[in-house]
Amino acid sequence: MLDCYVMFSAVLFIIGVYCLTTKRNMIRMILGIEILINAANLNFIVFSAFRAAGFIDPLGHSIVMISVGLAGCVTAVALAITIYAYKHYGTIDIRRLSRLRG
Amino acid sequence: MFGSVLDVIVFFALTNPIVGWATLKFNFKWLCGVYSLAGLSIAGVELYEISTNAFSRPLEIPLSPMPFESYLRIDALSIFMALTFIMIGFFVTAYSIRFMESEGGAPLYYTSLLLMIAGMIGVVSAGDFFTFFIFWELMCISSYVLVSFRRRHWEPVEAGVKYLVMSSAGSAAILFALSLLYGLAGTLDFIRLANAMRNPQDIWIYAILMLMILGFGVKSAIFPLHTWLPDVYSAAPSPISAILSGVVTETGIYAICRVLSTIFISLRAEWSMILAVLSIITMTFGNIVALLQVDLKRLLAYSSIGHIGYMLAGVATGTPLGLAGALLHIFNHALMKGNSFLCAGAFIYRIGGRRLDEIAGVGRRMPVTATALGISLFALTGMPPLNGFISELIIFTSTIQAGMIWLGVCIILNSAISAGYVLRIIRALLQTTNEDKSADVKEAPIIMLLPIFLMATLVLLFGVWPDPALKLAMKAASTLVLKG
Repeated sequence: MLDCYVMFSAVLFIIGVYCLTTKRNMIRMILGIEILINAANLNFIVFSAFRAAGFIDPLGHSIVMISVGLAGCVTAVALAITIYAYKHYGTIDIRRLSRLRG
Repeated sequence: MFGSVLDVIVFFALTNPIVGWATLKFNFKWLCGVYSLAGLSIAGVELYEISTNAFSRPLEIPLSPMPFESYLRIDALSIFMALTFIMIGFFVTAYSIRFMESEGGAPLYYTSLLLMIAGMIGVVSAGDFFTFFIFWELMCISSYVLVSFRRRHWEPVEAGVKYLVMSSAGSAAILFALSLLYGLAGTLDFIRLANAMRNPQDIWIYAILMLMILGFGVKSAIFPLHTWLPDVYSAAPSPISAILSGVVTETGIYAICRVLSTIFISLRAEWSMILAVLSIITMTFGNIVALLQVDLKRLLAYSSIGHIGYMLAGVATGTPLGLAGALLHIFNHALMKGNSFLCAGAFIYRIGGRRLDEIAGVGRRMPVTATALGISLFALTGMPPLNGFISELIIFTSTIQAGMIWLGVCIILNSAISAGYVLRIIRALLQTTNEDKSADVKEAPIIMLLPIFLMATLVLLFGVWPDPALKLAMKAASTLVLKG
């Protein structure tokens, strides 16, 4: 059972990486980062539940709580910067943000 | 709550907006900056007070009454790194008072700056990965805000997007590695992890090692993951470039040192080779691309990549001497590269441009700034009476001791390459120009000149008399090695 969950979160992580590398929309990239973080969160939950029969380790759960909050902060900052990028460039296509060169 | 040093900085950061409101009342623009300076000075004094105890026995501060361990563990290495952070933070804050005066939003700026410093101090004094990760994210999030602080211009916003996407993907990789580590060992405490990982049989440990190097490599700009760095350093406000290049990137190097030498000590043969190869590629790439740049800040950014390569070479040897060299180079690089960025900021403040042809001949108009820039640039190439020489020599010696002479030869060759771009900047500064464009350029304001002058003095001082910094670095490196 543990293997299935870990496999699933590994697949989730790969989906996140795929999303970050292929998607050109900035909002989608932020979602990709969220998927990456949630893959790790799922792993923490699974490992804390499977450590011993009938016992759930509180450490894993605390980390997930904090990590969800931190992911929220990152997303907030990311969306704020995206809004400014939209104001300057008129698009949220990441390919158009390539004026810095050298 | 977090121990005296962190408490002071977090308190001053969170009360800064209140002071900002008072600023409007009293019409004294510099109040926020002066208030932050006071906070950093008090934190420095507190650090000095706990340092004597922490050297003999690591100071442990529990953070939670919960059934699991979550605590800060302050040892000699934490003290050494925190000292560097507070020192550079102090200079940068003093410099920002004048430099950021016209930007507006001073309370937000100083709150983020102090929180970033607090995050870095928390990272180096964390005793387990749970605490480590929280402070790591605090540092990252406030650095995103600071990079795109001048949001009315397109440059910082674009750089901010690149930085945010790459760096938070790196953080997610670290978190995933931590979750696997937790599944493998059942704990995230550094000491217990070191014991649990002494004889690993699991194949997963290679995946964890790879994800960790990937995650920390993004933050410390190791070669294939460096692409955010030149854009960010050239687009961020100069004091922020100074603190990012001087200490934030180096926090990644610290994390690599700590993780590799406590948890992955059994895989030393593998990571030593990986890091040595990465270090050679990183330093050669950084120094050669720096030769092609025409933008002063972009040039300094590529030179930072080169210096990350030197530090990695010290870490790659894995010996106490190599680690001491890497740590000492972190300290010295923070001084000299920080100072170079502050000088570049002074030119931007007075001239408005940062291309080498725009600053041509400015050495005659701004002699103090140009001299300070010259001193720190020569220190960057590793010229003998300056501090860069000492740490590069120690790293070179350690590579020979560890039997990696090819790595040492690469370091020397790269020092020679770096002399090329340094001499280009010096030539641009001293050039005589026909145009009268720079005729009315004055020396930078005194409050910006003071940190520049002090840092240049420290660069000279730690070159002539490296003993105190060297002893501290040795002690810090020995705590790192003994634990493994």
